[in-house]
Parts: sequence; C-alpha cells; structure tokens
Amino acid sequence: MIHQYKLGGWNIVLDVCSGAVHAVDEVAYDIIGLFEENSREEVLAAMAEKYPQISAGELAECYDQVQGLKDSGKLFAPDTFAPMAGKLKEKSAGVVKALCLHIAHTCNLNCSYCFASQGKYHGERAVMSFEVGKRALEFLIENSGTRRNLEVDFFGGEPLMNFQVVKDLVAYARSIEKAKGKNFRFTLTTNGVLVDDDVIQWANRECHNVVLSLDGRKEIHDRYRVDYAGNGSWEKIVPKFQKFVEAREGKGYYMRGTFTHANPDFLQDIQQMLDLGFSELSMEPVVAAPGDPSALTEEDLAIVMEQYEKLAELMLQRDREGKPFTFYHYMIDLTGGPCIYKRISGCGSGTEYMAVTPWGDLYPCHQFVGEEKFKLGDIWKGVTNAEIQGEFAACNVYAHPECRDCWARLYCSGGCAANAYHATGSVTGVYEQGCRLFRKRMECAIMVAVARALGNG
Amino acid sequence: MEHIKTIETRNLCESAKNGGCGECQTSCQSACKTSCGIANQECENKESK
Repeated sequence: MIHQYKLGGWNIVLDVCSGAVHAVDEVAYDIIGLFEENSREEVLAAMAEKYPQISAGELAECYDQVQGLKDSGKLFAPDTFAPMAGKLKEKSAGVVKALCLHIAHTCNLNCSYCFASQGKYHGERAVMSFEVGKRALEFLIENSGTRRNLEVDFFGGEPLMNFQVVKDLVAYARSIEKAKGKNFRFTLTTNGVLVDDDVIQWANRECHNVVLSLDGRKEIHDRYRVDYAGNGSWEKIVPKFQKFVEAREGKGYYMRGTFTHANPDFLQDIQQMLDLGFSELSMEPVVAAPGDPSALTEEDLAIVMEQYEKLAELMLQRDREGKPFTFYHYMIDLTGGPCIYKRISGCGSGTEYMAVTPWGDLYPCHQFVGEEKFKLGDIWKGVTNAEIQGEFAACNVYAHPECRDCWARLYCSGGCAANAYHATGSVTGVYEQGCRLFRKRMECAIMVAVARALGNG
Repeated sequence: MEHIKTIETRNLCESAKNGGCGECQTSCQSACKTSCGIANQECENKESK
C-alpha cells in the first residue's frame, strides 16, 4: 500500500509497509498513481498524452525508476506483519513498564473540559498516600521483568496538591533503583498553580520530563482554565512556567495545550507560546462527547486541518530563521523510529502501561479510571481481571477492522483505546474524528521531515 | 534524470529481524495523554537499527 499527497510544494509518496518515503516530481507522482492498476504500456501512453513535452525515453526511464523501487521493496511492499501482531505482547506478557500514578484526585482549577471531571474522575476527592505509592513502585519493579527503563508519571488532578508524597516516592525509588537494576524516568504533569522554586529545583533534579498545561492565548486559556471562584489562571501561571522552563536548561518539557470549539485557530495559541519563549510545544484537540459545547464541529475541523498545514509551514520558516521549535505531534524520526513490533502492537494500555488510583486500584490507563468495569485489579494482588486485560492484550493494529485500509496505521498503531471505547463502545473500534486529525498531522510531519532532509531553502 | 528522491528511513521489514526488545517509551506516556501515536517515539535498541 502507498499513500501519495501534495503539500508545501512537495509531492510525497509513502510506502506504508516498508516505511520508505519518497519525494517525487510530477511525472513520477502520476506514474506511481497508475502503476498498480495498469500495464507498462498503458501507463506510458497516459503519460505521453499528459506530458507531450517529455520524450518517450524520459518517461520510460521514470517508469523504470518506479519499477526499481518496487523491486527493491521500497514501493508497494506487501503487508506481511499480521502474524507478528500479537508477538511482542506475548513475549512480554505480564511485564509492566510504565505507571500513571494518580497522586491526587483533586484539583485547584475547575476546567469544565477536563476529561477527569476536575480531577475527581467521577468519584470522590482523594490523594494517594505514601504507602500506596510505595507499593505501586514495588509492583512496577516486581512486574517489570528484564526491562531497565521504567516510566512513572505523576498525574491527577493536580499532583502538586500532594507534592510531599511525590517527593518522598521519588526519593524511595532512587534509593532502590540501582540495587534492582532499574532506571526510573519520572514525569510531572501540572497546571502550574503551585509551582515554586522548590518544585522547580526538585523537578530539574528528578524529572525526565515535565508537562505544563497552557492553552496559549490568555483569553483562550482563561475560558476554561479557571479556579473555583471563576478566575482565569493565565496571569498566575505564565511567569512560573517561564521561570520553570528557563531553569530546565535543556531538560525535557512540553507546554501542553488543548484546543476546543473556542479556538480551532489554534496556531495563534502556538504563536503565543512561542512569543512567551517556549519552544517545546504540544496542542491537543479536545476529546469531548458530541454536543458538548467544547467539542470540535465539522466546520471547526476544516479550520483545524488548515491550521496544521500552516503550522508545518511555520516550523520550516522558523528553521530557516534559526529559531526552531518542536511540536510534539510532528516529531517523527524516520531513521530511528520504532521497530515494526512496536508499530503494530497498540498503545500498551492495560498490559505494559497501567494507571493507579489514589487507593491502589489498577486501570488500563488514566482515561479508564472511574469506569468500574475496566478495573484490572490492584497493586497488592496484581491483575485479577484477566478478561479485561485480555481485551487490551488483543488490541493491536490488526484488531481494528477500519485500520486495515488506512495508510497511517503503522504511525498510530491503532490509536487510543480509550477514545475508541468512548466513541464506539469497543476498544477495537476507531475514533474517526481523531483518525482524520491524526492522518493530517502525519502528512504534515512527514512533509516537514522531507523538507528538512532535502534542504529547506 | 532523477525523478525520485528517497529519504533515508528505517526499513520496517528489516526491523522485524532484531526488533521487539520492548525498552521503548510507552506510547501515551509523558506528553499527550489524550491521543496515541507511536511515530514520534525513539527506538531504545541501539543494536537493532
């Protein structure tokens, strides 16, 4: 399977199964489009008609270049990966390598678009005790097999509302990781309200990454990200984030925003983040039930698609100006990206990745917390709900019927199980709106990669 | 005349031979939390590339 598209002045052809990416001229683009369904003679006759100014010899040479790529497995490579789909999970069955610790099911902001219902996850307010967190870390080590790199996210709600426990858990993990042959990578996700010098120093010492929630423009951010008195949080948090990021001195961070029906023109929010001095950026489309006032409408999607293209152009322009920035969803490592096992195995929720509630229950991921039927077990007894875990273990890219004909399937690995479940009632469904946006992001990301590889003049 | 420029990419078919060590980042972890993509992740297996 191939996917061909034109963007940013480039004609791009992706060979889905080999992973090859080609930048081609108009003639090659047209020949590739006709190649599979037509004979050599038919293709060349059609090209001769369309390009009368190009000699028959030249057209034949181009055809032969296409044929050569097919022969070397870089065009029209067949999908032979289906039998491998369950192998990675089989090989690593029972191995957990990442936990999302719900350190606080409470929040000091009251954002109406929050998927976690203001941090409470449709339940009671709660914070995780040190004892529960410690046991969660031990559960992770005990179940991580030979995996050395273990990821732990401090998540909420707002994790800094329980910061002492966060610090104590990291100190505990550091005290045992060497002896256990493990390397913990911690991430903190915060709304910024409680960020101070102590937090900044601690995070710079201990956190592999920090995710800082900012929606961009003040009026956009303050529309949803308000305190319980209804006051916007932008003025309060932006100076803190600027100080935080400056102190990171190159360590990982993301400014992470959400765009909604209120700002499908989210490129202005990206620009605002850049103007504030931030360079590692992520803007996510809101995931909301249809009819929710924040949900993106069909009209919004047309704007969003255009914004993604303009964002790619902005990235290339800033490259040329020596002011590059990162957009999380356009990060793509064509030479060093994931192997095929990873690409077909699904996101890992419910198997290698789980969320832990403040009281120690295990869920397939943070987005399933609060949905009782998805409870997998707890950190003391481990996974006891084999049926639900089996559903997630079987949830690879080939388990989604809609993915079979999708060119982007080896870039998304079947997509988000939670989004699929909330959209269709099944973790093997697909969240169509998310897929459309994902495909657009991949087209843009690959165009940026092509431009960078071939000279962004 | 060169009509096609092929960008250097990891050959996915070849990656089947030594892939699957499982050391790479969990897909959703550490940044987005509301969507899944694996294209932006690094391979942690330096020997297989």
